[in-house]
Amino acid sequence: MSVAIATHSLHIDRGTAEDLDHLFAQWQDRRDPTAREALVKRFMPLTRSLARRYDRSSEPFDDLLQVASVGLLKALDRFDPGRGHSFPSFAVPTILGEMRRYFRDCGWSVHVPRGDQERALKVRDAQETLSSEHGHAPTVSQLSQYLELETEQVIDALQATQAYESLSLDAPRPGGEDDTITFGDGMGSEDERYELVELDATIVAAIRHIPARERAMLHMRFVEDLTQTEIAARVKISQMQVSRLLRRSLDQLRALTRDTSEV
Amino acid sequence: MADSPPNVRLNLANTPENVVLVREMLSGVGEAVELSPSDLNDVRTAVTEACNNVVLHAYEGDPGPLEIELYLAGQSLGVLVRDHGIGLSAESMSLETDAGGIGLHVIQTLTQTVEFAAGEERGTDVWMWFNAPQVPPHAPPHLDGDQAQTLALSGVPTTTICIAPISLARTILPRLMITLAAHAHFSTDRISDAQLLADALVEHAQAAISGDKLSIDVTVELRDLELHISPLNVGRAQQLIEQSELGGLNGVIAQLTDRHRVVSSGAHETLTLGLSDPR
Repeated sequence: MSVAIATHSLHIDRGTAEDLDHLFAQWQDRRDPTAREALVKRFMPLTRSLARRYDRSSEPFDDLLQVASVGLLKALDRFDPGRGHSFPSFAVPTILGEMRRYFRDCGWSVHVPRGDQERALKVRDAQETLSSEHGHAPTVSQLSQYLELETEQVIDALQATQAYESLSLDAPRPGGEDDTITFGDGMGSEDERYELVELDATIVAAIRHIPARERAMLHMRFVEDLTQTEIAARVKISQMQVSRLLRRSLDQLRALTRDTSEV
Repeated sequence: MADSPPNVRLNLANTPENVVLVREMLSGVGEAVELSPSDLNDVRTAVTEACNNVVLHAYEGDPGPLEIELYLAGQSLGVLVRDHGIGLSAESMSLETDAGGIGLHVIQTLTQTVEFAAGEERGTDVWMWFNAPQVPPHAPPHLDGDQAQTLALSGVPTTTICIAPISLARTILPRLMITLAAHAHFSTDRISDAQLLADALVEHAQAAISGDKLSIDVTVELRDLELHISPLNVGRAQQLIEQSELGGLNGVIAQLTDRHRVVSSGAHETLTLGLSDPR
């Protein structure tokens, strides 16, 4: 979708009410394009400010502004100055209505998951880059500066990353109880270290269902008290993957121990 | 305007960071009641406008409280944004003026109904109701009428979070903890731990609390978060720490936190958990 908005200079930046009435009359009665351009120029700051309110969505701002501009043009066509209301009180619902229709009709279903996922991947990559530069995991403000994203977008990406089961891992995805993946990368010979001997019988029974690699991460995090970055370095995957795998293993264990206790 | 107590209450300071916290709470509620992304965006945008007004105008640039209540009932989602500031003038409430009116126009457009009311003593209540067909017609369990026990802690602004039923916290509390940990300048490592801690609390709070609501006061300082969970039944705070099993691992709360203490006051206990990120 594209909307051509003329931006060449006109002499009415902030017109008086009379100026505006005149311009509306010029446009609505006589279809004078210069009057419409003047009105567009006058109300573009309002339009831009409304588009910015949805700027934290995953739509590019330029697209939002174009949709909002369509709403402005519709409002200019339909506004009736004779009713005594100000133009903004009529235009704001019209412009927002256009944006909401756009989101409903074509925006969200197609773009949102992709936009969020792309951002989550960018945040994940930036975490790895900054971790290796600084020697420790970055903060959200460091990530938002590095990626030129808003803090909230980084927080949403961190939240979203936990939900993406489909992100591929460097290693094959661990399977069920027969899974015998060892750690590779020099870790295989130390498997016996990762027995979770401190856990009670129910847990030990349940934990056999957790793939070896994730079992080891649980041990490293909760028994050896390593940070996620340290685990990531040891297992040679990203910290985000460690975070996600830990959370998933704990969910899995929770389900397994529940099943056992219910039997 | 609401007949029953809220499902979520946040008592916050009127900082821009806390508007993000409110938006994250709304996302968590949206996930819990399966709002469409577009409806959630409308709710977030309208509530943001009302919160921004409290941040920018209600106290004329000074600090002051920002209170949020969220109600789920009757296939609707209701949000109250309250301040105790200067109050909206009749002129600005008329929605017909340009001055400051754009935000009000936005709220009016995006809500099913909106009401601006003067607060009991001063300030403004903005009530916003949104259609949410996914919300069951009958209200779920909600917060009791009692006010949150807000702690007065050495001048550090406290964020109060109350959620009922506790199952609703499953999608809300982890988001809030990520956001608070980000505000405390935690590294992403420690942010993940804060998220796991939220999972563990939601999982086990039910057994330690009488009633179906979770109340947490959080203080945020540089690289430090302190959570005060109350009121817990007598003897349950220590039990919550020791027996907090998450996915089969015992004592997860103790492992993820740097410090904890239990304070008894009559028939109840308060559990304090501290997380820091010294790096």
